[in-house]
Amino acid sequence: MLSLRPEENERLKELLTNLNNESKAKIVLLIDKSGQLISRSDSPAFSSDDVTFASLTAGNVAASEALSKLLGDKNLSHMFTETEEEGIYMILIADKYILVSIFDKKVSNLGIVRVKIKKYYSELERILREIEKRAEEESSIPTEIDVEDIDLDTLFE
Amino acid sequence: MPFINFATKEINCKIVYYGPGLSGKTTNIKWIYDHIKPENKGEMITLATETERTLFFDFVPIEVSNVRGFKVRFHLYTTPGQIIYQASRKLILKGVDGIVFVADSQEERHDANLDTLDDMLENLKDYEINIEEIPLVFQYNKRDLPNVLSVEKLRADLNRWGRPDFEAIATKGVGVLETFKEITRQVLKKIKS
Repeated sequence: MLSLRPEENERLKELLTNLNNESKAKIVLLIDKSGQLISRSDSPAFSSDDVTFASLTAGNVAASEALSKLLGDKNLSHMFTETEEEGIYMILIADKYILVSIFDKKVSNLGIVRVKIKKYYSELERILREIEKRAEEESSIPTEIDVEDIDLDTLFE
Repeated sequence: MPFINFATKEINCKIVYYGPGLSGKTTNIKWIYDHIKPENKGEMITLATETERTLFFDFVPIEVSNVRGFKVRFHLYTTPGQIIYQASRKLILKGVDGIVFVADSQEERHDANLDTLDDMLENLKDYEINIEEIPLVFQYNKRDLPNVLSVEKLRADLNRWGRPDFEAIATKGVGVLETFKEITRQVLKKIKS
């Protein structure tokens, strides 16, 4: 079970925000390959639904990886999608996570985004490995969470 | 694999609706989406063909707040049922926390039920997920149609692990909520264990 402690969340957020600011992106997201949003930069410029975006991004990367395998089992390391106004750059980290940068093409460009990601990549990888290691060592869920008192009836109209 | 963020007090879980083509997986999550309060749901994504068959997946995020200050978010996915999309089904199972197997009760679709269950077991094995340990619920859908198999027959052939199962008519919402509540209950219990 992957979990994020407040101090780890802070470190990730700070790193993603620095990367976002230096590359003049709209937002930088960190997603896991199963489609869960792990963290995001502190960026008000992005208004889409993060959760939905994370799910579609993971689906997109998974499909591209399958395509890549069809072409001879080549590993996929990064992807670039371009719309009329925006660029979406995705890069895989430790084969488990996807770092996504969305940028306005009038404000930034793929080259700057890639250079800045290169600057932060190793540190991000290191933080994620530390989080995984710490999460693995914790055998059970902390007592502060009591998920069994959830009332699903309140969800429906 | 659930993801817990202690800073934002969020717990994220992934639930996948699995089953043969046209068994009613999308109908299940559409019914849930249509009946849930707007403040508890995100955007529904449907990646479908022109004939509304699921091409890649459907996705609905559902949020429940105020669980001792934590927000639980269930990510509901359906898989494409048609045989040709085997690769997509496998991709969507990645990181799954709970599975609803939606079977088609019609006699002529029973072979498809069995084939899809085999396909699911194979995919889970590849991800090293033990079927004995993962939250799992069976739903026997389309109970209103003629020529349906008995629940006893469906249970004996499909539900080999004695998991909770429900009869359903997803187009009318019969059994949909019960199925959803049972899988979420199992997933939350697993997180706690």
